Amino acid sequence: MRLLSPILSGLHGRMAEVGVDDIMAVLREASARLASASEHLGQLDGEIGDGDHGTTMVRGFAAIVRALGEVDPRSSDLTTLFALCAGSFLDSVGATTGPLYASGLLRAGAYAEGRVSLPAEEAPMLLVALGDGIGSRGKAVAGDKTMMDVWLPVGQAVKAARAKGAPLGETLAEVKTVAGHATEATRSMIASKGRAARLGERSIGHVDPGAASAAIIIDSFSDILAQRLG
Amino acid sequence: MAAKAGTGPAAAVGSARSEGGVPLRFGDDLLLWASWLYYEEGLTQSDIARIIGVSRASVISYLADARERGIVNIAIKTEKLRSLTIAKALQEHFGLKDCLVIPGEGGGRSPFESLGSGGAQALRSIIKPGDTIGVGWGRSVLAAAERLSVDGLQDVRVVQATGSTSAHVPYTPAACATAMATAIRAECIPISAPAIVSRRELRDMLVQETPVQEQLASLEELNRIVFGIASLRPNSTLYSSGFLNDTPKFRDAYSGAVGAIAGHYIDDMGRRIDGPLDGRIIGISLEQIAATPQRIAIASGIDKVPAILAALRGGFVNVLITDAATGAGILSADGREIQPARAAATPVPETGTALPARSSVKKFLNTPEDAVDEALEGAVAEHAAFLRPVRDSNRALIARNGPREGKVGLVIGGGSGHDPCFLGYVGRGMADAVAIGNVFASPPPGPIFDCTRAVNRGAGVLHLFGNYSGDVMNFEMAAEMAQMEGIEVSTVVTTDDIASSAAEDRSGRRGVAGNLFVFKVAGAACDRMMPLSQVELLARKANRRTFTVGVALESCSLPETRRPLFMLGEGEMEVGVGVHGEPGVLRQSVETADDTADLVVDRILSEMDPARGDEVALLLNSLGSTPLMELYIVGRRVRQRLKARGISVARSWAGHYCTSLDMVGMSVTMMQLDEQLRDLLDHPSDTPAFRIG
Repeated sequence: MRLLSPILSGLHGRMAEVGVDDIMAVLREASARLASASEHLGQLDGEIGDGDHGTTMVRGFAAIVRALGEVDPRSSDLTTLFALCAGSFLDSVGATTGPLYASGLLRAGAYAEGRVSLPAEEAPMLLVALGDGIGSRGKAVAGDKTMMDVWLPVGQAVKAARAKGAPLGETLAEVKTVAGHATEATRSMIASKGRAARLGERSIGHVDPGAASAAIIIDSFSDILAQRLG
Repeated sequence: MAAKAGTGPAAAVGSARSEGGVPLRFGDDLLLWASWLYYEEGLTQSDIARIIGVSRASVISYLADARERGIVNIAIKTEKLRSLTIAKALQEHFGLKDCLVIPGEGGGRSPFESLGSGGAQALRSIIKPGDTIGVGWGRSVLAAAERLSVDGLQDVRVVQATGSTSAHVPYTPAACATAMATAIRAECIPISAPAIVSRRELRDMLVQETPVQEQLASLEELNRIVFGIASLRPNSTLYSSGFLNDTPKFRDAYSGAVGAIAGHYIDDMGRRIDGPLDGRIIGISLEQIAATPQRIAIASGIDKVPAILAALRGGFVNVLITDAATGAGILSADGREIQPARAAATPVPETGTALPARSSVKKFLNTPEDAVDEALEGAVAEHAAFLRPVRDSNRALIARNGPREGKVGLVIGGGSGHDPCFLGYVGRGMADAVAIGNVFASPPPGPIFDCTRAVNRGAGVLHLFGNYSGDVMNFEMAAEMAQMEGIEVSTVVTTDDIASSAAEDRSGRRGVAGNLFVFKVAGAACDRMMPLSQVELLARKANRRTFTVGVALESCSLPETRRPLFMLGEGEMEVGVGVHGEPGVLRQSVETADDTADLVVDRILSEMDPARGDEVALLLNSLGSTPLMELYIVGRRVRQRLKARGISVARSWAGHYCTSLDMVGMSVTMMQLDEQLRDLLDHPSDTPAFRIG
């Protein structure tokens, strides 16, 4: 149904919608971008962790993309889609990242409440839900130097944009800016969660790899939706 | 100039351990003893001669000998030099007018005492007659004021920079201003209004009241201001002092903030953040601070680095007083590297830095990616008498002689690379099932759930594993899945690694070789058909009384990289290392087996605090490559020490029990026994790696 939506919205005066195929495109893009950033993420992680964050994210998203091969976007809904992604990610990853993203994806699915699509302006709320899911599983707070230092401000930006009724394009652009800035800001933080926490002050000066990969996913979301609905 | 015995880190250790019985620690080494008394204790040669019982001439020749033989190195004290370097770098990098950096080694004083003394010293030279000085609030500001005393300054006024708080802490805005005014015999101008009021209209009304209006007007006349910088970390005084209410909604509104100055939130670039406090603050504004000619910030603490950096970037500070660690942190956070603190003979590359060319480690592997699965295939075949896959995967294994009707099921698990942890402890009398992840990575919830379901025989299941965030989350998700199926699951995490966190944060420590004792006690309790609640209690008790310290001589290397995970210098060892190569508490020069054992025993006993006559179970564990021979040597000394302390070793084991791949190193674990724990430890068990009876 999404295929015709630009025409339909014109004909029926309906707003554009973000559907299952859009989210699938986002996930595929994120997977591709993570794969090309894998080495960089591994290096970042090598500075403050055991260097496997790149391969872990790539493995998890590759599993998602494999699972997407069996999804028919015309007969699936967003909740089912996200649950499938969560399951595939988790089965292939474990470690720390697995439960975090799986919980985030499940929360995004719960937010969609079984709908096949969301009004375009509402779609960025999926990022809020994703961040909330990750946050409640990992219990990291702002400043812990984790991926939450990107998900929190991004969620905040989305909510602020929604509160003032910003159009999708504007929200997506804002989200990208915030994510990039927030990633860079982790440089000055001291790790206090996860294995990097044991490094204490030695973690200062390094960008958190989880924050960097979160920004890649968020950028993929923004770019693909902007491209498909812009 | 100052002197140090041996190389830098070794000297630090020497003094750290100097509290115990003197002069036994010097053995019969008179040179060392004399050097210590002279260089470290600052005694005169005559005093030393009297103490040692030799002539002064002998002392002089001892000291000369000590230098000759390298016991003593004369060097400029690196820590002081370093703090000068950092101060200069901070000043240049941020364009500060001045900067004072307190050396990190505070000689046993608390950070606030050191910082306060530094602040007082700086203020003494800064404050001039005729000044109008704004004073912020906080522990650092109060500490400085309390250590300051200046007489004879005329016409100095101290202005409280923010309104008052009702906080029940000693360092309120009013207390700080008063203390400062008293210290420099100045007139004190308070702000007779609350720092934060409930409504904007109330603020607008209050600031028009004559006294408040006059007081606030004097903030326009400041030529200097002294203030602290608040971090927004959970333990920040901003919250604990009651200055602000720490509600989730409030935090949400200021989620982009990294710090606060005089109650104003700023982001990482030092820009003001709008929020619910807007228009409700009575006191100095950010603009007024920025407009004050001299802006002196006193702040230290690694957790404050983002906040201080933001304040510097925002231009709110032009004189900074901090400590060396914080200063170095600020610089590296802003992309400027400072020479490493360690001035040891050999430079120490940090984790992840470029490795020397020789560092490919030889291993018996096929495709590295297949290492875990191939090892599991071999292990399952090897131990087929004890265990088998729950379903079709070797990532979830169940004991052949384990689960039975009405018995609590015990599920353990964790990453690969710690053999025989964890699958070696599956069997009768210990764990009923094990979930296994990749190298040093938690298993996903799937296999944990499979194990849980397979061992559930109606009495519930205990999840027992080391305290690592990945394991915690994956076990938590598996427990949620099991609970949705109506399986009762309790969880206990092991936290025996002393070095991983302070004693107050016991629950934040990681679990290492002490796993063995906790698994054994819990497994025995299950085997005796105790109910889940009691099994859980006993596992917690065993964990509470178990303490481990690890020491690494060489890093382990991962199958996929075949390179050391971290680097230790040629003559270095790391005390308190974790089983994934996590940094320990101390990097120092390699000591003898006995000295190393002493270091470890001291740490364990100071935590355990046993009484004479107590019994312990002892575990001497190789972290991978250290041979049993060396474990015996260390164990011999450990026993000597325990005997001297009146503690008996009731049970003991030595060998590979919880490893870190091929790490060279060992750990010592002690569990403080009572009758119940000893009894459970003695309960028969039959597993691949641990058999009793």
